[in-house]
Amino acid sequence: MTAEKLPTDIRTGVLRDEELLVKARGVTKRFGGLVAVNNVDFDIPRGSIVSLIGPNGAGKTTFFNMITGYYTPTAGEISLDRKTIAGMRRGRIRSLKPHEVTALGIGRTFQNIRLFGTMSSLDNVLVGLHVHLRSHFWDAILRTPSVYREEAAAREQARQLLDLVGLLDRQETWARNLPYGDQRRLEIARALATRPKLLLLDEPTAGMNAGETRDMTDFIRRLRAELGLTVLLIEHDMRVVMGISDRVTVLDYGEVIAEGSPAEVRANPKVIEAYLGRGAADQAAPPAAGASPAQSSSEA
Amino acid sequence: MSGIDDPRIIEAARREAPRSGVLGWLANILDAITGIPGKWRESFRRGPVRTVALTVLLGLGVAYPILALYVLAPFSRNVFPLPLAGDTDLVFMLIFATMAIGLNVVIGFAGLLDLGYVAFYALGAYTAAFLASPHWSGLSFVLLSDVPPGFPGIHIAFWFILPLAAIVAAFWGALLGAPTLRLRGDYLAIVTLGFGEIVPVIFKNLVGVNFELGPIKLVDANLTGGPLGINPIDPPNLFGIKFGAVGGVAPVYLAMVIVFVSLLIARNLEHSRMGRAWAAIREDETAAEMMGVNTVRTKLLAFALGASFAGLAGSLQASYQGATTSDFFQFSTSILVVIMIILGGIGNIYGALVGALALVYVDKVLLAWIGQRMQGFGRSIDNDAIAHLNPASFNFLIFGIVLVAMMRFRPEGLIPNRQRTAELHEAPPDQAIGSAAVLGEAAIASEAQAEAIAEEVASEQGSASQPDAPPRDPDGAGP
Repeated sequence: MTAEKLPTDIRTGVLRDEELLVKARGVTKRFGGLVAVNNVDFDIPRGSIVSLIGPNGAGKTTFFNMITGYYTPTAGEISLDRKTIAGMRRGRIRSLKPHEVTALGIGRTFQNIRLFGTMSSLDNVLVGLHVHLRSHFWDAILRTPSVYREEAAAREQARQLLDLVGLLDRQETWARNLPYGDQRRLEIARALATRPKLLLLDEPTAGMNAGETRDMTDFIRRLRAELGLTVLLIEHDMRVVMGISDRVTVLDYGEVIAEGSPAEVRANPKVIEAYLGRGAADQAAPPAAGASPAQSSSEA
Repeated sequence: MSGIDDPRIIEAARREAPRSGVLGWLANILDAITGIPGKWRESFRRGPVRTVALTVLLGLGVAYPILALYVLAPFSRNVFPLPLAGDTDLVFMLIFATMAIGLNVVIGFAGLLDLGYVAFYALGAYTAAFLASPHWSGLSFVLLSDVPPGFPGIHIAFWFILPLAAIVAAFWGALLGAPTLRLRGDYLAIVTLGFGEIVPVIFKNLVGVNFELGPIKLVDANLTGGPLGINPIDPPNLFGIKFGAVGGVAPVYLAMVIVFVSLLIARNLEHSRMGRAWAAIREDETAAEMMGVNTVRTKLLAFALGASFAGLAGSLQASYQGATTSDFFQFSTSILVVIMIILGGIGNIYGALVGALALVYVDKVLLAWIGQRMQGFGRSIDNDAIAHLNPASFNFLIFGIVLVAMMRFRPEGLIPNRQRTAELHEAPPDQAIGSAAVLGEAAIASEAQAEAIAEEVASEQGSASQPDAPPRDPDGAGP
């Protein structure tokens, strides 16, 4: 599925409610006196690849953690597929628990890889399938036929997922013994096992060389095309962000400072200022030179 | 993406487990039993020495109580350098083995440090005491027990009490766990420590109770027998065979069956969806939660299931001994079981079994035997100090030394768990290498990016867009 085939042009951002997979309104998170995320409105159209960028400490990961239920927002509302993840209920803001959010259809990877190191690749993916398995502990104790069937089916599906990310021949290897790039891919396989509607990728190409980064970018595109996933990306590598995203949102000091297509965001003086400082923004202000500083910003 | 309900997957799964329903389950069990010779051959092909040794050991273990009685006892003094364990010692070795297997579910599988495990042992024992003794003398209720009808007290057959004790212990485990399992690490250990102290104290003090609430009125009621405990408790009984303290080898085999079933249950749990979730929680609780594991419920389950094994052990202990008192359930018992699984190898059910058998043997048999020898030796050389030395009273000193030595030379235990061994021996250097590799790659990545910047700058010489102000994000590439 490409962006052109979507009902509304997701690049312009004028969308009807049912076209939104994630809708966040007025989301704020305060840690004591620190406002990490301030009154953010954020939409993720169905079937799109959306990137969240911003300098370190801008509140990207905090926002991620609110979508996944790890933090409860101080104010605001977040919903997935019109089901509430966080919002006002009985007098205060409440949030679903992370495992409930996972069951609702959000899978994620971590900035610093968090695999289950001394479990095999296959078992790592099977943990991702946990939420879709029904067997109870008494089934496990008695080893009933239904457990055999469910486990066999789960293993079969886990192998398919490992095949998808190209790790089928490493299924018995402990996660921590895999090379770095494979670990990143295993994390994605584990996230896919939760059968997400929305896949959150937290810096999927961090620490990768140019070739690996290209492979990962192609892979993310393939995920959308083949599995119909919606992807939210946090990424510092601007070539990845600009190359893959339908829409980019820029956070700085917890606030949205720009939103739009990659080209629009790239030309936005506020973005250049956030990344490179005021001087650079002033210099970049002439339209002809606007594009490149933002592009090279993270590398500085 | 194809789901678990995909027909192809279901078909593939059906080939692996062809049957369904109760009959299918029985057929699976039959398959498992008839498959044992095949599995044995396979194992023999891989490691003949190990397989034969283990088989012989298992056979000797099962035959030991009878061998000891009829064959070994007359010669033991001359043939064996070590003393033989008697029937009572064997029963206690096996009771503690059940507990060690259960505590291994809590500590080894789920990684929850439970220092009050004795509480569930006590709950199991008192369940048996309440339901199979003349304690409630005002009542008379006999259920499939060999006690004559009309006899005072509740008398339910041990075979009902056994699962009931497991359920009671699991219930209290869940009740204790519910508010405390949100705590992590040390805090949980402290709360369980408290519970382990509270339960025996309650059993000790619920005597002479005066209480009134609506229709319930207790005047000087003796609820738990107080410091004297409850006795006599009916021994287990099957077709006239009594499995009590005077039952000879029969109770040893009963305990063996209970240990065997415990091993099976623990093994099945380890290799199930729940076992995987426990391992994931132990590895990284946050990641597990993010992957859809309900961590609170999963930990609660580990806690309650672990407690149920202690319930089994407790009911067996009370029924076997025919008496129970609160003094029997002390903090030291909790610690002893923890030492057993550390010694045997945390996370390995066979390690727990071996650790328990070894430790109770040393505690109950070996130290007493050494004491006798030393007394004899002391008297023969007329040395009062040696003659009155009792090594059995130094048991915890000895266990402490063994534990320290173990931590120094083989921290993973006698029969280690692969994961634990890896964590204990490789974790720091491996992590260091891992993070160094990440940093290295990050450095390479940022070098590549630096080159890219250089190129861009070169291509835009005219526009003078090179920034002067330092960026706020110096380490853009790495986490």
